[in-house]
Amino acid sequence: MKTERNELLNGLEGLYSKGYTYLVKIYAVDYVKTLEAVYVVRNMEEAKEERLEVELDPSDAWVPSAMRVYKAADWYEREMQEMFAITIKGRQAERLLLEKWNGSGAPLRKNFAWSEPYEKMK
Amino acid sequence: MSTRINIGPVHPSTHGVLRLVADIEGDTVLRVEPHIGFLHRGVEKLVENRMYMQSPAYMEKLDYAAPMSYDELYVAVVEKAMGVEVKERAQWVRVVLLELQRIASHLLWLGTAANDLGQFFTLFMWCMKDRDMILRLLESASGARMFYVNMRMGGLVQDLPPGFGGGARDVLDYLERRVKKYEAYLEKNPVFMERTKGVGVLGKEDAINLGVTGPVLRASGVGYDTRKDNAYYVYGKLSFRPQTRSEGDVFARYRVRMMEIAESIRLVRDALDRMPDGDAIGMPVRLITTGAKNREASASRETPRGEGIMYMVADPQRPYRLAIRSPTFVNLAALTHIAKDCRLADVFAILGSLDIVMGDADK
Repeated sequence: MKTERNELLNGLEGLYSKGYTYLVKIYAVDYVKTLEAVYVVRNMEEAKEERLEVELDPSDAWVPSAMRVYKAADWYEREMQEMFAITIKGRQAERLLLEKWNGSGAPLRKNFAWSEPYEKMK
Repeated sequence: MSTRINIGPVHPSTHGVLRLVADIEGDTVLRVEPHIGFLHRGVEKLVENRMYMQSPAYMEKLDYAAPMSYDELYVAVVEKAMGVEVKERAQWVRVVLLELQRIASHLLWLGTAANDLGQFFTLFMWCMKDRDMILRLLESASGARMFYVNMRMGGLVQDLPPGFGGGARDVLDYLERRVKKYEAYLEKNPVFMERTKGVGVLGKEDAINLGVTGPVLRASGVGYDTRKDNAYYVYGKLSFRPQTRSEGDVFARYRVRMMEIAESIRLVRDALDRMPDGDAIGMPVRLITTGAKNREASASRETPRGEGIMYMVADPQRPYRLAIRSPTFVNLAALTHIAKDCRLADVFAILGSLDIVMGDADK
């Protein structure tokens, strides 16, 4: 289901109290005009899943940290921040998780500039 | 006063290129933090520029200890996007191949993890030898020893060769005896028991909140197994029980994997007996290139390391976005929590018990 950025934590907490205690994945999709952050949570007892989708403006992309509710959010959020330049508010800044480079830009956004040799291969 | 030490990224006990930074006092670990990303290849980005048929070979390199599982996971998500049904016989063959792959992967884990605990190389060599028998079976089914690329949308690239069932049963009979021997070898060894029992305990609540998956989760008393709770293919028809333990320590994770080997042996035998005849070959390539119908699809599979999930937003010809939830990534993220206040040497016992493959974590 769709939700607003400001309602995200309330939504997750509501789901948590309904037994959706397992965070399956946080990922983002770049639709060029908008970014979408997706939170997938699961009720382990009943094997049911719920999705929360948050639409974001690419020029002002941030979401609140879900670590207050799910500890599992830690690395997913860092991955998302690194790959999509979606700032995670409410947690301390961390070193890069996956990238070992000094370049700039968000690799999984659609406007990411490929290096020249790769552009030719494509 | 605490000391900070660096372990890796190239270290025999880190199972690949993993760097650990540990704050220690004496030899008690205050905090250990994994640094990953040394094997990051950006697979999620690479597949966006490739047609559906071109990517299975990429996916296999994610988890090089269980390539068949990832191959199948990717093909499954594309099948969902294309709205393709898998042929009846192909479903059975896939179950056989996936379970054989699980046994091979668990054997590799057993050898390396026991090696970390000071069981030296004897068990490792035994496990590698036994694993090779399964790799030979998979080679006879697909033509390659390690990177198979044997799955194709709707079925397989090639059906099982004649005589596969007989050969597989011989190997399984042999393995059943061998696994009992390994269990005796380890569980009668006081060093092994001392180093695994009560070490790296992860409670049920924490396991769920940290989002760990697969054998690590089941060793903490959560009986969630995708093959049962979100059954795919013919797992629903086979009598299958998720293997769980309640202690949540390194020994419990070892036991869960050993029980899973036994369960997989049973599943393969059962599937070989009940497998129907018929056609198992997948779609011709020209049909695959014509495109995906559904915009969004996801597939979830129990790989040997835990639950692997792919979420795909599909363009007609290629993935628009493929998000991979890899089991090692989530299990490794929990290391900081599990390895708190343990001894430095136990970090490797715990790390070994998580069964990490860095290609899987780094993507």
